[in-house]
Amino acid sequence: MTYFAMALAWLFVALALMIAGVGYPASDIVSPDTLILVHAVSIGWLSLAMCGALFQFVPVLVAKPLFSEKCALPALALLSAGLLVLLAGFLSLGGHLPPALWLLPAGAVLLVAGFGLVVVDLGLTAWLRPTGPARFVLVGLASLCATIAFGAIFAFGLAGWAGSLGDVLMTTGVPLHAIAGLGGWLTLTAMGVSYRLLAMFMLSPDVDDRQSRLTLAAGALAVAVTVAGGGLAIGLNSGLKIVLSMAAILGLASAALYGRDIAFIFRNRKRRQLELNMRMATLSFVSLAGTAVVGVALAMSDTFAAHLGAFAFLAVFGWLSGLVLAKLYKIVAFLTWLETYGPVMGRAPTPRVQDLVAEGRATKWFIVYYAAVGAGTLTLLAGAPEIFRLTIAAMTLGVVGIVREVIRIRRLAYVADPLRLPGGAVAPHLLFARN
Amino acid sequence: MSGELADRVREALRVVIDPELGENIVDLGFIYGIAVAEGVVRITMTATTPGCPATGFLKEGVQAAASGVPGVVSAVVTMTFEPAWDPSRIAPAVRASLGFAAVN
Repeated sequence: MTYFAMALAWLFVALALMIAGVGYPASDIVSPDTLILVHAVSIGWLSLAMCGALFQFVPVLVAKPLFSEKCALPALALLSAGLLVLLAGFLSLGGHLPPALWLLPAGAVLLVAGFGLVVVDLGLTAWLRPTGPARFVLVGLASLCATIAFGAIFAFGLAGWAGSLGDVLMTTGVPLHAIAGLGGWLTLTAMGVSYRLLAMFMLSPDVDDRQSRLTLAAGALAVAVTVAGGGLAIGLNSGLKIVLSMAAILGLASAALYGRDIAFIFRNRKRRQLELNMRMATLSFVSLAGTAVVGVALAMSDTFAAHLGAFAFLAVFGWLSGLVLAKLYKIVAFLTWLETYGPVMGRAPTPRVQDLVAEGRATKWFIVYYAAVGAGTLTLLAGAPEIFRLTIAAMTLGVVGIVREVIRIRRLAYVADPLRLPGGAVAPHLLFARN
Repeated sequence: MSGELADRVREALRVVIDPELGENIVDLGFIYGIAVAEGVVRITMTATTPGCPATGFLKEGVQAAASGVPGVVSAVVTMTFEPAWDPSRIAPAVRASLGFAAVN
């Protein structure tokens, strides 16, 4: 719960930065201001939310407890401190703070330590039963290692501590860092978790292992080609065009196969009525498909580099953030139920998980959010930064509404009085869970 | 006598619900068997999926509900996933109210 609270706080920071016009599209895509925005979103919001979800769901994927329950909190402390120090380093790099470029490697070291704890804990847990969705998590964690390795080299390079290799990598290697992070770590892991969550909540049969293995193979190859092929191409000074084209084709194939797998789960579900989190998750799948279409259209018109921001915006806020928000709505309700009513089961009547939520109230905020993401993508494609900031204000309104609903779930606001706190049940704390 | 006690235990277990499906575990077909011998109740049960985080609470809930039945000296609950649960085990009336697809 603390991971989710921290992640949402960082999402609000990122939204505030965009409304204030800090970072892309108001600044250049590789400017220090944009680096602040990108890392607030990718580490603060998405990675923390993903780590929080994985600490809950990797044990579900493998039907075994976490390797260590004690790693989660120190990892969160290291990641939070590392991100703050890294952002201070970017502020220094941009001249907003006095020169102190040592902050960049210091932040990187803290982040490597934090993510290291996450990788060891989740990796050793998933390794216990590396089948189906757990394989996606393992590949995602391997991609995370590649992402933080590139990031640490860049951070040391910006401080002038990485020698000529660091300089070369910094000049050309940023796409490899971004693809490993967004494509490998965040997207493949989100795919893996979604297989199990969707099947579990809709009572669908699991996707056949051979079928999902093909989806993973295409995605894993895309990351491998990017990291290994890209590293080799940089070493040989031969340019990244061929490597990135191959990675794009493999990435598209993986997204298409994932679409086929998700369609199988929806088609074969036993529960016909879809809960809000499922309906909103479908909008994130549509956004993933939209991202692929936009990417292909931009590549074919040779304007991909010019509109990289619009492409990344749709992937980050339509696909990844949309899925995280939709699942967060469900996960918080489910965890709150477990925490409050699990211990009194069998001793008193208890409500259902669905009694903790008011889907009608939440639906409008999700619609506002997704409509704003679509409008934001279009304004970026059209090159209208002022209107873009308006769409971010609308997105913020949607997120505020969703978070307000999540807080009301945590406060048991929708549970009818006779069942709200049956004998022995203890109301949950807003920001942390007792179990 | 033991059959009557088993029936009372089965009735008492209706207070335990699956949090996701929102129906009691008896009608959902989670209870595979209830055996009574000299006041000791042995219950074999399942859940929708082995990794479900609610599994432990379901088991403890069944233990608590069974232990509270007058005449029960102790209750032993065994969780199994063999055979795996599937929606065909749900009582037909409940299945319809849950809006389930036709079950083969």
